[in-house]
Amino acid sequence: MANQKPGKDNFTRNLVIAVVVGVVMIMLVPTLLSKKTNSSALVPASVSADNGYGIAFNSDLKSVPVIDIYEDFQCPVCAQFEKMQGDYIESLITEKKAKVVYHTLSFLGPESVRAANAAACSADQDNFLNYHRALYANQPAENTGAWTNEALAAVGQAAGIQSKKFVSCVTGGQYADWVNNVAAAGAKANVNSTPTVFINGKEIDRNGEYFSADKFKAAVERG
Amino acid sequence: MKKLQPWFGLLARLILGGVLLAAGLLKYQHLDKSQMAVRAYELLPISLANFLGIVLPFLEIAVGALLVVGAAVRISAFISVALMVAFVIGISQAWARGLSIDCGCFGGGGQVEPGTASYLPDLLRDGGLAALGIYLFYYPRGKFGLDRHKLDGEDNHG
Repeated sequence: MANQKPGKDNFTRNLVIAVVVGVVMIMLVPTLLSKKTNSSALVPASVSADNGYGIAFNSDLKSVPVIDIYEDFQCPVCAQFEKMQGDYIESLITEKKAKVVYHTLSFLGPESVRAANAAACSADQDNFLNYHRALYANQPAENTGAWTNEALAAVGQAAGIQSKKFVSCVTGGQYADWVNNVAAAGAKANVNSTPTVFINGKEIDRNGEYFSADKFKAAVERG
Repeated sequence: MKKLQPWFGLLARLILGGVLLAAGLLKYQHLDKSQMAVRAYELLPISLANFLGIVLPFLEIAVGALLVVGAAVRISAFISVALMVAFVIGISQAWARGLSIDCGCFGGGGQVEPGTASYLPDLLRDGGLAALGIYLFYYPRGKFGLDRHKLDGEDNHG
């Protein structure tokens, strides 16, 4: 072993460094590209890039407040928000008192992506609001594997969606690219938690307006 | 003391590298959330924060892996210290400005309920990790590393 030169075994070391750096770069570049908005993505009928790819109601109304709701179907606080304010928001839609845009984010994991895709499929059947409500009513614990595409299709049938097209849309992940676009638009809009509600482009007060029926109503009416 | 130094180097590498590797892998699972975590510091322009939210986990994984196997220890230690200093600055300014965020150090992140944020444990941890990184920068030699150092050659004499 006398006089073994330092650096003799540098081949292994250099190979390891090259592999680590190489693999990370090879993973990084496609990941960066996949987070970009895909303008050729298939989108549900009410959706446009101007609305941040959200599912929009009453887009034709002028001079009413615009409510943007950023949510994730797996987020427990979103379920509480839906329970508290859902009926009121739906009444604003049906009475044409506000334009409402639902941004179905998916940062909690693959089951959020599936649920958002399924919600877009329900919009095609003119049944988004019912399905939205049903998803929150049946919300499982996060990422437990309960929301398979089959389970999400079954939730739709329970909410009164009969169409076979809906089932194939859900199980085929028809709107997966759109889900990605919603996420990218949410990131651009600086949405840092869910639920996040903007009224006329301004976030409502996190100290109270989310979970008080009166204060939320006041915030909407103030516009 | 001289005998112990390579063992301490190994320990420092495993702790610092292991923490970085774990943090990177946890963030990698939920990159949307990682972007959200960086945005919530309200320190960088949105587009840069979103870019960093994706790049950061990959950087942590690479540096963490290199430290664990002991390859390019000096430069990895340097990058780790730079990261820790950046984290400490980010967390301190969030604290000072009264933001309510989760540091997002190990996945998670974003805004939290006002009054529930805690910053001190994160700062202490990152400060400790920075100290390990500084040590490794000056004494990169450690047991079972792939890097070859002059002293290793001397050890092998005879």
